[in-house]
Amino acid sequence: MVFKILTALLLIFSSVLTSELRIEITKGIKDPIRIAIVPILWNLDNPPREYLHKIISSDLESFGEFESLLPKEMLSLPQAEEEIFYRDWKLLDVDYLVLGTASAGENPLEIVVNFSLFNVTRERLMKRSISVGSVSYLNSLAHVISDRIYSEINGLPGISSTKISYINQNNFPERKYFLRVTDIDGRNDSSIFSSSEPLMSPSWSSDGKRLAYVSFEEGTSGIYIQDIYTGKRTGLKLQKGINSSPNWSPSDRYLVAVLSKDGNPDIYRYDLEKDNWKQLTDHFGIDTEPDWSPDGRKIIFTSNRSGSPQIYEMNVSNRKIRRKTFEGSYNARARYTPDGKRFVFVHRRDGLFHIAVQNLRTGKLQILTDTSLDESPTISPNGKVIIYATKNKEKDILAGISIDGKTRFILPTNSGGVREPSWSPLLVSTNN
Amino acid sequence: MSLFDQFLIMVAIICSFSGCAAVSMDRAVEAETVSAVSESGYSDSDSQVEGTIYFEYDKYSLSTSAVKEIRSFAKSIKSNSSKVRIEGHCDERGTREYNLALGERRANAVSELLQVNGVPSSSITTVSYGEERPITYGSNESSWSKNRRAVLKVL
Repeated sequence: MVFKILTALLLIFSSVLTSELRIEITKGIKDPIRIAIVPILWNLDNPPREYLHKIISSDLESFGEFESLLPKEMLSLPQAEEEIFYRDWKLLDVDYLVLGTASAGENPLEIVVNFSLFNVTRERLMKRSISVGSVSYLNSLAHVISDRIYSEINGLPGISSTKISYINQNNFPERKYFLRVTDIDGRNDSSIFSSSEPLMSPSWSSDGKRLAYVSFEEGTSGIYIQDIYTGKRTGLKLQKGINSSPNWSPSDRYLVAVLSKDGNPDIYRYDLEKDNWKQLTDHFGIDTEPDWSPDGRKIIFTSNRSGSPQIYEMNVSNRKIRRKTFEGSYNARARYTPDGKRFVFVHRRDGLFHIAVQNLRTGKLQILTDTSLDESPTISPNGKVIIYATKNKEKDILAGISIDGKTRFILPTNSGGVREPSWSPLLVSTNN
Repeated sequence: MSLFDQFLIMVAIICSFSGCAAVSMDRAVEAETVSAVSESGYSDSDSQVEGTIYFEYDKYSLSTSAVKEIRSFAKSIKSNSSKVRIEGHCDERGTREYNLALGERRANAVSELLQVNGVPSSSITTVSYGEERPITYGSNESSWSKNRRAVLKVL
């Protein structure tokens, strides 16, 4: 009996303890795009119990850009173009409408979804599309459909098939650090590495298959590369002093990282094919936190060579360095936006640390967040959203903001402290 | 290529010629499961904390009292010809990787003064933990001042 109760309790606790980072919008935009996804018609003998239109709707709504109608709010449920009465949808202030049918594919588990996207205002068909997936991975299929819809409407890639990696620290029953990877919708959250010593700085390879990160498992900082699917793990040979801040080149041939083997932290480039290091900066100040520009030609980094941490940009071919930030006495850990035109970084004002964005050409700086211990910003591969680490009631949490500052959200979790988010590149291409 | 793929390509080709609203084809990737690795980790449970030196915010210079303390550590380390490990730490403010560099500067400041006072560099190892191993949690000056430290451990 006692055993049964214990088992029951354990089950309850383990379900409570599963860490799922779920996006929770705290401030949305005033005029989101209104979209109606009519329930997908299933031409299958045994249709799955999960509803595709629900997942598609919640994908589109996740960053506050879209607002979707519930089926019960719809005046009709058309199944084909000729059944659409645009007036009905205009009455409901709907901007876009999606109709679709799902049928069996060639393989037993394959599903083929034919869907059409309509512009209600202009009363016309925008796009017909076919998405193929598996019954067993209905979410992946829904993500591909919503990314297609997103890119047709916004002209930018959708991000519902992307992942986030982050560091999770638990102090009970003993201190333990986890490197975790989760789908952006909070599903499939799992630890890919754990250690009793600190873990830091996860960074995705451009092919989306590997993570480079820092682990203290040898009693000092070391750089490790891990294939997230096979688990294959390689440690780069430890150099004396700091081994930190790894970040991949767009080609995945190099890592840019920080070593202090000559007594001073400088930026180095590691060649994964030749297994060698090349020094890129040489200054008695602290040089750290490098990031590669999307075209691979430049590296942005933090240096205190002026006396306080500021952002600098280096031309990789001629090593010319230019200071980029002049406002304030603490600017650090810059990350390029995917178009390479701006960078997102940590900016201190009045003693508080905020996430800010600066235009590389004009130098215009804009503070985005109003919390006080913000750090580690990471940008979605379509450049629209930033996720960063901050504190709430002395707990490490993740939060987010759209790059235009209009939408804010948090990613609550009940599994200890979470920090250092890193957004994957696009993992599925929905090319036009 | 499956029959179905061929069919889709045909559809695409017909569409591209006949000018019907271009059909796109996307394929969902089957969710591969990520795989986990675990590491028991380095343990320094054998070592003894000899002393702790505290620092000002964003600084790695040694106070006069810290200099005195380090001189007396140097004496005892020399007389016991022991090996020491110096761990540099920071408070939570500022970015993590920058703090890793700052923590190293703190450990180095202590190491250099030990060497000036006759401890051979071969008996000293330094490591920076940045802000990753605070001694106390809490976002206030009382916690921060305890966390800005260099810890001397005798191995």
